[in-house]
Order: sequence, then structure tokens, then C-alpha cells
Amino acid sequence: MSEPEIPEPRRIGVYICHCGGNISDYVDVAKVRDALKDEPDVVVAETTLFACSDGTQHEMIRDIQEKKLDGLVVASCSPKLHQITFQGVAKRAGLNPYTYTQVNVREQASWAHTDDHAGATAKAIGLVKAGIAKTRLSKELKPLVVKTLPRTMVIGGGVAGLRAAIGLADIGLGVYLVERASHLGGWVGQLGPMFPDEHSGHDHISFLLAEVAKRPSITVLTNAELVSKSGSFGNYIAEVRVHGKDELVTTEVGTIIVATGFDTYQPEVGEFGYGIKGVLTLPEFTKLVDRTDGPLTYEGKPVRTISYIYCVGNRQVGGNEYCSKFCCTATVHASIKIAKRDSTVHQYHLHRDIRTYGKYELLYTESRETGSVFLKFPDETPPTVELMDDGGLAVTVVDSLTGNEELKIPTDLVVLVTGSVPRENADLTSVLKLPVGVDGFYNEIHPKLRPVETVVAGVMIAGACQGPKTSSEAVASGLAAVTQSAGILLKGFAELDPLVATVDQAACTGCNKCLPSCPYEAISLIQCDGREVALISAAVCKGCGGCVPICPENAIDLLGYTNDQMMASIEAIAKEPVS
Amino acid sequence: MDYDVMVIGSGIGGMESSIKLGDMGYKVLLVEKEASVGGRMILLSKVFPTLDCASCISGPKMSSTINHPNITTKLYSEVMGIQRDSDGAFHASVREKSTFVDWAACTGCSECQTACTVAVPDEFNAGLVARRAAYIAFPQAVPKKAVITRAGTSPCVDGCPAGIKAHGYVSLIRSGKYEEAFQLILDATPLVGTLGRACYAPCESECTRGDLEATIPIRRLKRFVADRHYAQMQGPGIELPTSNGKSVAIVGSGPAGLTAGWQLARLGYQVRILEAEAKAGGFLRHALPVYRLPEHVVEQDIANVTALGVEILTSTKVTDLEALKAEGYDAVLLATGTPLATPLGVPGEDANGVLTGLDFLRRVRLGNAPDLAGKCVVVVGGGNVAMDNARTARRLGAAEVRVAYRRGREEMPAHRAEIDDAQVEGVAFEFLVAPITVEVDESGAVMGLRCQRMQLGEPDASGRRSPEPVPGSEFVIACQAIISAIGMGPDPTPFATLTNVAGGGRIAVDPMTLQTEVPYLFAAGDVTSGASDITQAVGAGRRAAYMIDNWIQGRVLGNFPALDDLLLVVDKKEVLARQKTYSHREPIVADTSFSPAPQDFDELELAMTEAEALAGSGGCLDCGICSECQACVTACPADAIQLTKREQTSEIKVGAVVVSTGYKLFAADLKPEYGYGTYANVITGMQMDRLLAPTRPFNTVLRPGDGKVPDRIAYISCTGSRDKTLGNPLCSKVCCMYSVKQNQLIMGTLPLADVTMHYMDIRAAGKRYNEFYEQSKDMGATYIKGRVAKISEKENGDLIVRYEDIENGGKIVEAEYDLVVLAVGIQPNRDVEALFTGEKLGLDEYFYVAEPDADLEPGRTDIPGVFVAGTAAGVKDIVDSILHAGAAAAQVAAHLEHSKIKTEALV
Repeated sequence: MSEPEIPEPRRIGVYICHCGGNISDYVDVAKVRDALKDEPDVVVAETTLFACSDGTQHEMIRDIQEKKLDGLVVASCSPKLHQITFQGVAKRAGLNPYTYTQVNVREQASWAHTDDHAGATAKAIGLVKAGIAKTRLSKELKPLVVKTLPRTMVIGGGVAGLRAAIGLADIGLGVYLVERASHLGGWVGQLGPMFPDEHSGHDHISFLLAEVAKRPSITVLTNAELVSKSGSFGNYIAEVRVHGKDELVTTEVGTIIVATGFDTYQPEVGEFGYGIKGVLTLPEFTKLVDRTDGPLTYEGKPVRTISYIYCVGNRQVGGNEYCSKFCCTATVHASIKIAKRDSTVHQYHLHRDIRTYGKYELLYTESRETGSVFLKFPDETPPTVELMDDGGLAVTVVDSLTGNEELKIPTDLVVLVTGSVPRENADLTSVLKLPVGVDGFYNEIHPKLRPVETVVAGVMIAGACQGPKTSSEAVASGLAAVTQSAGILLKGFAELDPLVATVDQAACTGCNKCLPSCPYEAISLIQCDGREVALISAAVCKGCGGCVPICPENAIDLLGYTNDQMMASIEAIAKEPVS
Repeated sequence: MDYDVMVIGSGIGGMESSIKLGDMGYKVLLVEKEASVGGRMILLSKVFPTLDCASCISGPKMSSTINHPNITTKLYSEVMGIQRDSDGAFHASVREKSTFVDWAACTGCSECQTACTVAVPDEFNAGLVARRAAYIAFPQAVPKKAVITRAGTSPCVDGCPAGIKAHGYVSLIRSGKYEEAFQLILDATPLVGTLGRACYAPCESECTRGDLEATIPIRRLKRFVADRHYAQMQGPGIELPTSNGKSVAIVGSGPAGLTAGWQLARLGYQVRILEAEAKAGGFLRHALPVYRLPEHVVEQDIANVTALGVEILTSTKVTDLEALKAEGYDAVLLATGTPLATPLGVPGEDANGVLTGLDFLRRVRLGNAPDLAGKCVVVVGGGNVAMDNARTARRLGAAEVRVAYRRGREEMPAHRAEIDDAQVEGVAFEFLVAPITVEVDESGAVMGLRCQRMQLGEPDASGRRSPEPVPGSEFVIACQAIISAIGMGPDPTPFATLTNVAGGGRIAVDPMTLQTEVPYLFAAGDVTSGASDITQAVGAGRRAAYMIDNWIQGRVLGNFPALDDLLLVVDKKEVLARQKTYSHREPIVADTSFSPAPQDFDELELAMTEAEALAGSGGCLDCGICSECQACVTACPADAIQLTKREQTSEIKVGAVVVSTGYKLFAADLKPEYGYGTYANVITGMQMDRLLAPTRPFNTVLRPGDGKVPDRIAYISCTGSRDKTLGNPLCSKVCCMYSVKQNQLIMGTLPLADVTMHYMDIRAAGKRYNEFYEQSKDMGATYIKGRVAKISEKENGDLIVRYEDIENGGKIVEAEYDLVVLAVGIQPNRDVEALFTGEKLGLDEYFYVAEPDADLEPGRTDIPGVFVAGTAAGVKDIVDSILHAGAAAAQVAAHLEHSKIKTEALV
């Protein structure tokens, strides 16, 4: 592959962003500009309050066009945030987007060195000079245009996955719905009336299943797991193993939506008395409530007193630090159901904060109005559960709302309000190379900029696999993933970054060392002029660069990050720092 | 179909829906009521839990929105009514409000906002500081275009028959731009000094400040700038116009003729004014007494006109207008006023000692005053001319001056102030008397006026009660001179044979164009209307010049924009309702010392001092908001300001609608026990976000009361939320988290400050939210459980927060803080209720847009084809709004595909 050479000297525009103080509070941006404005090939050197603002984008476009720039460098934040933004600016100005280099002087300079303004500034200067050096050797690359397939694989047949499948079908996309279990429906399918509108989870799932059945473009695979994914963005070949069948189902899809849901926290035996008869988790309790009528009984005995202990397995410093978001509301909702069935039942809610946000607050109010008593225990003094001599249960709690008095509550049932935990899904995580956050849930690229996308192109996440969500929130994120998929697939083609490795076949000796280094299996050996040489598939290559240093002949180069560019960058950054 | 979908509101939800729908290939119309896309998020400092700066997230989304090939935005626009058609699509009226700026030309350079002389509270800074009436919404506005806020025409401007921008020059004076103020008046008329003295100031009668303590001294402010200008230079101080080769003759050099001449000369016309008297000025020089209008002021004003090359031929009486036209003028303007006094019409009128008012005043001005020393004088009439006569007679030494008027004091047409001043100067009044005969002695000289008592009967056509004689009530007022000032009219001789004559000898003209039956002949001022006043004449002179120019240039005559196309006048009640209290301002009254027996003709009224001018103009309430001072017009390098631009309404057909109208913040003053709006150092969470934002109004976090950097900062959560007493039992979800975020940012900005949050429950529910809250505690923020009962203020502005310390035994604690931040909650934006004109969009019981099946069909409303995105459907944080907006986009796409309502988009 050869790219048109850009005539020298280059004409490079450099913009250094204040980020409204995020950078300029620690890095002297004017000094950075002054340090490089006289660098060779630098034609424009400006500072700007917000490089990403529309106004500055217009200024850049004007500069590129009027001053005939052939390279662009923006020193601002992480490329994760705005590389695409500024490549778009270049494109709109008629400049090849691959002559653009983003220099991260925020995360790498200002935020990292808030205690050392001079050092942060010196580092920023070095980084920007390296960026200029990289752009100076940039070439005009052309994006790889790939055809996209109008089909999506949805992994997980819970409420989010089902609704997403229907949403995809409704805008004309084909769907493979892959569910590990033997039946669809997930957690919601097991629920009775749910908050806030008392619609039955079971009914919801029945309705969705009927809708799925009406849509021939949805293929449902149950007892099925994704075992491999190959191909490239927009053209994935995904193999599914269906339990009990030898042959793999091979599908070709444009995108993948992961909606694998969550598991509920399972307390250890002994944790808040778990294991003692009458100590139930929230799912166990809701099942008990939903499957019976009239005054509640447990093991044949009428339940007169219920104590709820909140935040079991959540908000634990050193453990699951996150909040599961739905459990407070689910619990107050359950307590209302109980009170409606028998208004004389005593219900004690031992909590840390009641997080019935938004409209769910009405349920909290209703719960109090129907007789539930709420006690708040200090973080450091959790309640204890004990089996008393008479065989009954008792909960001991320090209630900070009544002068930190220690109360002992004899009780018939203890409900451990357990939240959600990430679902055990190591195989899928590994097949799709999904990013996992510190909390164990799948991570989006950015919660606000790209909330359903993952760093794996074309692979989206939706529902509670991303983090705890209520049922309606899970559905909303499922539909958001539909929108994101459709935005990619409805066009019928996609442009991929040509930042891929290439082999100089003249230099290649066919030694085979690079093949195992590629995690994407993008490299193969081919016959060329009677000898074996390596070939890298541009569509499959992710541009990770892992093969480049492996090659003993230096025959592999990474477009956009060529050896020359990297050496020049290092050269620029390693020059003696400006004082 | 004009668009596949219309998205209403361009907050984070509306932008997300629009971008996603555009990405899917649908043609989107995005309607936003403000001048920039972005909604509220762009105004925030940083956002939880990642602490990304809001600008870095919202800014690029704003840019993507505006630059998307499939998205059309209508900004500064409002959806007036949406109706569903029988085919399932919708048609909507979209009102594009006038920005008064040509956005195609505007470069966003902000010169207009620097120049603007009107300050209003900056809604984009939560009212912490002021912005200008000409403004760019905020520094990161997309697009970055200026808007001028105009609520309507200010009453003072609306009330001026001359179309002078009173509000404009008042605001210029307030800004110290005295010469600009002079020039603004000069743009209407050369008679700046004259009007600053002799105008009856209808603007002041309309002034809204008059409903508080006293009107703004608008007329005397005009005199102030005139005096200043003339003290520095003679003439107008403007560049000479280039000739356009055309010429106009104007007959008469009163205010109408001079104004028309000035206007035409500025357009490049060669103007010649022909004046019958020996000196120019008309009544300004020959009728108005010099104690009201000194000679030199008239001369200075006239010098403005002649400085432009206007020729004034005096002692030139025109009798043949056709012959005048034949001299080669392109048009002729008749502005000869009302020189003929109405005779008294009683026996003895010709007696020695009987004068008409006009003749009397003219003689006085020409230095030929009759000897009235020690005489008793009767002035007949109740108008301003009668007052001028009476007061002039006093100055000539008359022993007694008596005004005889046939109606009562209330019915007098003279200006109130003139009557009052006359009385102070010793003029006596005989009301309800009518002259019957002039009593003459044997020498033929006046010895008295026989009068008859009158009584008021039924109201006549003019609404005034007409006087009727009281039988047998005759009596004689002994006097040696009688001045009759009962009216005056035009002299029709020059035009009587040429064109139509209306009643009272007036020339007939089209009232809009001032053109007569004879196309080249226009007429302006009292000759068309009968006696009026200077402002009327100035307005007519301006209009005539505009029409003559159009006529000569072959254009349609049309409306006169400066008078006919004003915006609707603003409602004074609305102006006064803009703020709750007004500080008292001492009225700036003229320091005029009246004498009960005036001796001389010296100017009565003293000039204003600069301090008085600033104080007087400083009280202006900016009724119309924009003052039309033209400072922006002058400042704009792109010539983009268009104050004549008007709103437009377009009818648009769309396949689907997304309502993303967002929320309103709780108005914290509805919780009076927290003192917001009363205690300067109690602010809202939004205000704190502005104090912390990169585009913050001050360069640090400070408390508004005294600018002190606070050491002890308290947050009060659930202000306006979870509160049945305010009708909002809901939780607002975001306030806990934005407070925790601000807690962290403050600890970063002010490392020594103590931050305490008084909370009910910390609702850190969301991905990484609880961890964020824990981090805040680790950083040192204190969290105290319990709702705050009351805040009170100490003399030094510090605040005492009273609460029950629940977790520590429940004692009542009074804690002292420097600054209190109210974590105000979210309220529904009830503007949605007016969006749909046919069927009603269903709302839930708390007035959010209802989603009948929120569990499975998020974003779907009860009208097929209408969807809701973001907080319009209920409280959400930014992440949930974005996801919800993405879901709404999927719903729209499914609907459009299902109904096959689609346009061809670009991608």
C-alpha cells in the first residue's frame, strides 16, 4: 500500500486547549505555544479556551483552508474523548484526517502534575513537540470502506435483550437472539407485579415473547452460547454452540449487542444470619410474596413481623462498593404488597439511606403510610441477626434516628436486601474481549459520550450487564443500543481507520514469528514470487502493533504510527527539556 | 413531508435523539427556543461521577448537532401548535422569533455586546451577573451568534410623535455616551436643543418609572446632551453627505421644514428652504417665548441644517408652488404651519389694545413689544399659546394678567406645567367665561372685556363638555389690553387653487405618505393638521422626507418604518413585575426658581449637572429591554444588526415528534424559610455550578453578598423535592449527586473550606455513584442527616442554619456558615401543555409527559407518533437522559418504518 507523499516543508497547525482551566490552571499554555511556534513546519500556533467548541472548530477549518495546512495537532485531552471530534474537523476542512495528531496534555500533563506547574508545562511542551513530529511524517491514508451486514446478534434473552431484538427487527434489521438458558425471559420473567406500575414481570415477558414470535427476522437460539467471533467491524462471523448439538451455528452479523444481565448477590452462610431458617434474600422473599395470596405465611406459620436489612452485599467498603440502585425501591414495594395483604404485619426497614429516587419516592411514602417503620443504622454498626432460645429470630440494630438506641426486634422473617452482582461470564468476556470495570460489570467507552459502545468496535452493551439498573432502565439502554446499531448498519457500509500493520514483502523472510503474536488472527502466510511471506488482513487487523517489534527484519510497519513517526516523536520528546 | 421527525428542545436529550436519528438516515428538524443548542448541561461545571467538564461532553455534541447533514436546526424558535393529520403525520407552526441580527453575516465577535448600553440579569449565569441586551448566549454557544433581546417598544419611544428613541438616548447617557446620545436624537431631527427645552415630553407622560416615584427626566436629559454638544462644537459633527444630484424645495422653516430639510440633505439632496420671515425657525423663533427657548438654541439647531449645505432663503414668501417647482426642483414640500390667528369674533375687536396672541409673541421676539407696563391684560383662551402670552405679558410689566377661558381648569388644553407655572408667576384665571364685547373708551382704546358666565353642558364630539351661557350673568373685566389666543390656522393661499383643501384651510394629504393630489407636492406639519406641537411637526417632517426620497427614487412610498413599524409597546405591568422590589430613587426635578412677578426673559430652567444626568438616566427601567440606542449597529463590523427584522412563522409537516423540552429548576424563593432571594449568601446549586464552571462569572468561588471567599459552606438537599408542602413529593434524583460533585470541586478549589451537606438520604444510585459519594467523604466533606428547618442571616451576611441533629441525639443545633447552597430540585416544564392543539398530550399526575407503558416502551407517549426524550418524561440524570433519548430514537425509527412516512435524507 502506498500513500501519496505530501510535499515538504509541511504546513502544520497546532492548537493548545485551556480546557476551561482543566489544562491552563496547571500548564502555562501560552508558554507551550511560544515554545513551538517557531518549530519548523509549524504555520499556525494558537491557544484556545475550548478546542472542542464549535467556534474553535470553525476557526480551525478556516485556518486549514486559508493557510493551506496539511497537518493538524490539537493538544487537549485524551484521544478517547476527542480524537474523532478533531478528525471530523479535518475532514470537514478537506484535510486528510490521518494527518491529525491528538496530544493529551490534560490527563498526561495538567491532571497528573497539579503540584508542579513548571514540570507540567515542560512535559506538555515535549508531548506537543512529539505530536508535531508525528504529524510531520504523516501520510494521507484512506479509510477502509467495508460493507456492513444488516443483522445484529443480541446476546441475552432477558427483558433488555428481548426488547432490543424487537426494536432491531422493527427498523428492518435481522436478529440472532442468543440465550444461554433453556428459556427466554431472564430475571424479569420470574417477577410478579413490579414497581412502579404494578405490571407483572411475567406478563411483560410473555408479551415480548409473543412479539418476537411475530417477527420472522428474529432467530432465537436458546441453550446457546457464543464461542467465537472473527471477521471485522460490520462483518462479524460469530459461532454459536447450541447445547446438545455438535455442530456450531455460524452466523454473519454486523454488530453485537451484549445484554447478559446480572446475578443477585448470594450471602455467605452466617452473613446477617443467612442460613438460619427465616432469613431470606430479597429474590427469595419476592418469590415467596408473588407466589402466595392472603396473609403471608412462612413454613406454615403466619408472618407477623418482618425485618428488612438493606445494602447486603452492597456499599461495602472493601467489598462491593457500588449501590445496586433498584433494591430500595423493590423492598419498599414489597412491603406495600405485604401491608395490603395484612395491614397488621409489623415491618421494620433497617437501612443506610433509602434510595427511592425520582417517582419511586411515592412508594417509599406509601410504605411508611401503610405502617412500615424505617430505622437507620450507622455504617460502622450493622445489625445482627440471631436465633433465640425460643426458636424465633431477633434482629439487633442501633437506630441513629432515635438517639442511637440499640433495639432488639423479635421477628418472624429477616429479609436481606441483596443487590446485583456481575454475572459470571468469563467465556463470553474473553471471546468478545469485553472491557470489565473495577466493579466487575462491563464498561462502556464513556457513560455520556458513548454510553452503549465498548472499545470493541461494533460490540454494544445494554441492560444490567453494564451495571445495576431497573427493568425500565435496562429496556431503555437496550433500545439505545438498537439506535446505535442501526446508525452503523442502516447505511450499508462503514469506514474503518486504516491504522493497520503492513508487511514489506520484499523484506519479509516468511519466518512465521509474527503469526502467533496476533491476537486477532489477522496474519497469514501466502505464496509470493515462489516464497512464503506474511500478509496482514487490513479488515481484521486492529492496529495494536503487537507484531511490529516481533519481526526480526523490521519488515512490519503500522500505518499512522510508523517506525519513522515513533522514532521522530521520541527524538522530539527526549530532547533536553526547556527550562 | 418536510422532515421525518421534529425534535423539540436541544438539551442533551434532544441533541442525542437528533444525532442518532440523523445517523440512522432520518431527516430531523430540531427546534430550540434559545439562541444556542445545548440546553442546561453546557452551563454546568463538571459532571458526576467522571468529573469530565460539561463543556468537553456537551460542546462536541452541540457541534455534531449543528453540523450534521441530516439535522436542520431552527433556533430562537418556538413550536406554536402541533396537530396530527389524518395520514398520521403532523403539521406544526414554528415561530422563529426575531434575533434582530442577520445570522448569515454575524461572526460572533461580541462587539455588539461590548457596545450595548442595557444590562439585564444573565439567565445563563443563573442571574449571578448581568448580561447585555445584545448578547451571545454564553461563550460556548453553538452557533456563536448574537441576539438582541427586545420585549417590545418602550412606552417613551412609543409615545413620541417624532419617533425619537428616548429610551435609547437615556441608556446612552447612563453609559456616559453623551455625544452618541446627541447623535441618536440628531438622527431624527436637528432640533435637539429646542426639543430639550420646549417639548411637552409625551415620553415622560408614558414613562413607567412615573408609576414608582417620578418619571425619568427625559426631556432635560436631551437638553443636557445638546448643551454638551454645542459647548464643544457648532454644527452636527457628522460627515457631509455626497450629493445625489436631486433637489427639493421646502416652503417654511419651522420644525417640520427644518427636520425634512435635514433628513433630505443627509440623503444627498440639495435642499432649499424658503422662509417668508426675515429669520428662519418659524414658531420656534416667532412664537415661543425666549424664557422657554432661548434664541441661541434655535440658532444652534438651525446651524445643524445649514452645515449640510441646506440653503435657507429668508424673507421669501412663496405664493406660486407650480412656479417654484418649475425652477427645477424634483419635489416640493409645503410646511408653512398655522400663521393665521383665529379672530375673537366679538364687537370691538379692532380696538386699540386688542392683539392676537401670535402677533403679540412675534412682536416681542422681534423686539417690538407693546408697552404693557402697569396695565391690566386679559388673555382669552386656554391653550399653550394663551399661557405663553400671559407669562410674556407678566414679563413686560403688566400689573395684572387675567386669563379668560370658557371652560374650567380641567378642560384647558394647555400643558399642566404651563398652567401651574403661569399661576406661580402671578397670572390669574377666570374660568367659565366667554367674551361678548370689547369695551372701548372714547379714544378707541380698550377699557374692558364684557364677558358672560358659562356652564358646562353635555360632552361634545371631542368628549369635552361644551360651555353654555348662563343667562343674565354678564360682567366686565376692566383692562387696558386684550390678547386673543383662541386658535390659529394655515394660510391656504399658495395651494388653494392647486390641490384639495380640507377643513380649516388645511392642505389635504394622504396621512401615511403626506403626498397631496399633486404628485410632486408633499406637505407636513401644522399646515396639514392644524395647530399641534413641535414633536408632531418633527415626526411629519421625517415622514415627508422619507416619502419624498422614495417618490423621487421611484420606490413604493409604503410605511414610514421609524413611526409605523414599531414593535408593540410593552405592558408597563410586565415591566414592573420583572422584579419584586425597586429601590427608591430620588426624582431629579428641575431647580427652577419662579418669581411671582418675573422681570426678565432669561431662560427659566437650569441645565442639569452631569451627576444629575447620570442619576436621572440611571433610574430607567429598560421597559423594552433593548433601548434601540444603535450602539450595536455602529459597533458591528459585519453590519449584521437588523432592528427592523421581524419574527416569522412557518408551517411544517413532519412524520413524528420528539418532545425533549427538559425541566425547570425549582424556584427556591418558594421556600421562604431558607431565605433565597432575601439573604444574599443563600444561592442555588445551579448558581454554584456557574461559580465553579470554566466560564465562571468570577474567577473564584465567592459569596455574592460581599465577594468574600467562603470558608464554611453548607448544602441543603431536597430543596423543593420530597416536600408535600410544595406540591412536589417526588425525589429529583440529581441533587444529591450534583451536590456531592460540587462538594468535591469546592474542596479542590478552596482546599481550606469546610463543606457540609445536610441531607435526608444520599441517593447515590447509579454506576460509580456510590463510590463517588464515598470518595467525597474521604476527601473530608461532612454529611449530616436531617432536613434543615430554617436559615437566618447575621448582620455580617453569615448564615445560621437551624436543624435537628438526628444522628447525635436529636438536639436542636444552630450552625454558622458563610455560604449556603440550596440543592434545588427538578420541576416539570409545563410549556409542553401548549405544544399540541388538537389532541392533548397525556401528562402524569405530576405534569411530566406520561409514558403509558414506561416498562417496555420508554419514550412512547399516548399520541401515536409522538415520543418523549429525557427529563420531559420525569427526573433523570444526564446518563439516563442520554440512554432514554437513544431509546426514543429507536421508537421513532420503528414508528416511521411502520407507517412508511419518510423523506429522502442525505446519508
